[in-house]
Amino acid sequence: MPRARIFKAGVCAAFFTCVAPAFAADDIALGEYLSATCVTCHQKSGKVTGGVPSITGWPAEQFIAVMEAYRKKERENEVMRALASGLSTDDIAALAVYFRTLGPGKK
Amino acid sequence: MLINRRTLLRGSGAAAGVFVLGAPALLGQARQRVVIIGGGPGGATAAKYLAKDSEGKLDVVLVEPKKQFTTCFHSNLFLGDFKSFDEITHGYEKIAAQGVRMNHQMAGSIDRDKKEVVLADGLRLPYDRLVLSPGIDLKYDSVPGWSQQHEETMPHAWQAGDQTRLLKARLDAVPDGGTIVMIAPPNPYRCPPGPYERASMMAHVLKAKGRTKAKIVIIDPKETFSKQGLFQEGWEKYYPGMVEWLGPKVHDGLKSVDPKTNTVETGFETYKNAALVNVIPAQMAGKIARDAQLANQSGYCPIQPDSMKSTIDPNIYILGDACIAGEMPKSGFSANSQAKVAAMMIRGELLGARTFPARYANTCWSLIETGDVVKVGGAYEAKEGAIKASSTFVSKTGEDADLRKQNAQENTGWYAGIIADMFG
Ligand SMILES: Cc1cc2nc3c(=O)[nH]c(=O)nc-3n(C[C@H](O)[C@H](O)[C@H](O)COP(=O)(O)OP(=O)(O)OC[C@H]3O[C@@H](n4cnc5c(N)ncnc54)[C@H](O)[C@@H]3O)c2cc1C
Ligand code: HEC
Repeated sequence: MPRARIFKAGVCAAFFTCVAPAFAADDIALGEYLSATCVTCHQKSGKVTGGVPSITGWPAEQFIAVMEAYRKKERENEVMRALASGLSTDDIAALAVYFRTLGPGKK
Repeated sequence: MLINRRTLLRGSGAAAGVFVLGAPALLGQARQRVVIIGGGPGGATAAKYLAKDSEGKLDVVLVEPKKQFTTCFHSNLFLGDFKSFDEITHGYEKIAAQGVRMNHQMAGSIDRDKKEVVLADGLRLPYDRLVLSPGIDLKYDSVPGWSQQHEETMPHAWQAGDQTRLLKARLDAVPDGGTIVMIAPPNPYRCPPGPYERASMMAHVLKAKGRTKAKIVIIDPKETFSKQGLFQEGWEKYYPGMVEWLGPKVHDGLKSVDPKTNTVETGFETYKNAALVNVIPAQMAGKIARDAQLANQSGYCPIQPDSMKSTIDPNIYILGDACIAGEMPKSGFSANSQAKVAAMMIRGELLGARTFPARYANTCWSLIETGDVVKVGGAYEAKEGAIKASSTFVSKTGEDADLRKQNAQENTGWYAGIIADMFG
């Protein structure tokens, strides 16, 4: 399963950075943990149902820009604003890297 | 999947990480055991995440008598003819496929000293960590005149399954001009907006059948309820004269119900020969948790807010409706969120996996009428010894119809999402 292999490689990369004292920005283990909250609504498979869009396989910069827009309340949606407001810049970067590894590019 | 020297040395980062971080040696030692009691949102999610994220390094057993789980969430949509019963019922096959061992029976008791669960058939399951998510038990003695033997005559449908179907059949048979009396529960109970979404769906069905002279009377022990202004606005707009909510100051206390004559007596009025009485009684943590002395006087189980671990037994984690989760409401979303924190903490304890500060989330959507959904929710964290909201939101009265439609679509998307997350 190619998707799983990409993911494994990601975990290895994260392992070497995670021995550093602070959480690195591309900390995929952190991203994976934080993603657990997201996948109650956004499906890990990238499948879209109803009003919940796919967030897998996005270019990281785009993902980060969208999340920052929710955090600064520039983008509508109460659910996303509430969740983004509790995330740090590093958290968002980690999520971007993690969701990038799932599925093919979206846009 | 069994871990062996080759897979370990081949060095997937995850395995190497565990090794370096000094977890208990994996080689030549039996896998540590996690037993989970209850296959609802809390237990099913915990089982799946533990099995998936430990990649076979933990022995995960899920004890749940039912082979098929019907979700209470969206059971009101079943009552309202928005969903079929099949659409709210799910099997455990994919959870088993993650490596979880399913054991379909009741757990009878917990031997905390020996760290063993005793199953209904007498089998003893030893555990290193136990996860409890048994949901609620109904307090059958909390409504005068009503008891478990009357749940067929005056259904509760607060635990999904046959009760849900029974309530639906009874609702469909309510004639024009008939009266439905709902006895709402006192706090704390599962799904704070649930009774009021249910009243909306009852009114929706009656209206769709042209039975607009039927009436739903809610006898509530609470002075106020969740999303009250939003529900009352919706009832007036869509179901004028059909839904009547009575707080304790107005009904002056529920005196008794009589299942023989379908009568409900309050200090203010007696409703005789009601077409349907829906009794939603007071609630408490599931028996297995209370019997193991894990609950306090409130009837629910105290937990540590940063891990979901019982404050009474460090080898036990308690999730969902059975626990006291501070400012988080008792919901399927909350149980699912808490399960992920517990699964991470257990992997941290047993496998030395990395752990992060606990984060929780919840949103409860309520359908008032086709395309009109309201929501309440927030993000939560451990603060000052309890789970507290770090950010919250709630729909507003007089909101734009488009926004409500978007909420309706979110609600649909969320259901598919949480089901894929738990049972997919
Ligand atoms: C009408 C209604 C509408 C709702 N709507 C929503 C909604 O829109 N959104 C939302 O998020 N939540 C909603 N909820 C709430 C939600 O259903 C519950 O909060 C959720 O099910 C709690 O999950 P749980 O894992 O704690 O318990 P449960 O879902 O009750 O699961 C517990 C499981 O444990 C099993 N069990 C119990 N004792 C034992 C034992 N001794 N041995 C083995 N197994 C045992 C039971 O069989 C059961 O399957 C609603 C509830 C109701 C009643
Ligand atoms: C309660 C359900 C829910 C949860 C949980 C949730 N989201 Fe969302 N998310 C939504 C909805 C609904 C939208 C669409 C909002 C809109 O229309 O702007 C959305 C939109 C997004 C978008 C923009 C998608 C697009 O196509 O524009 C991103 C990125 C995103 N979410 C990321 C996340 C991340 C990361 C998390 C976890 C930290 C998360 N979401 C958790 C419901 C949720």
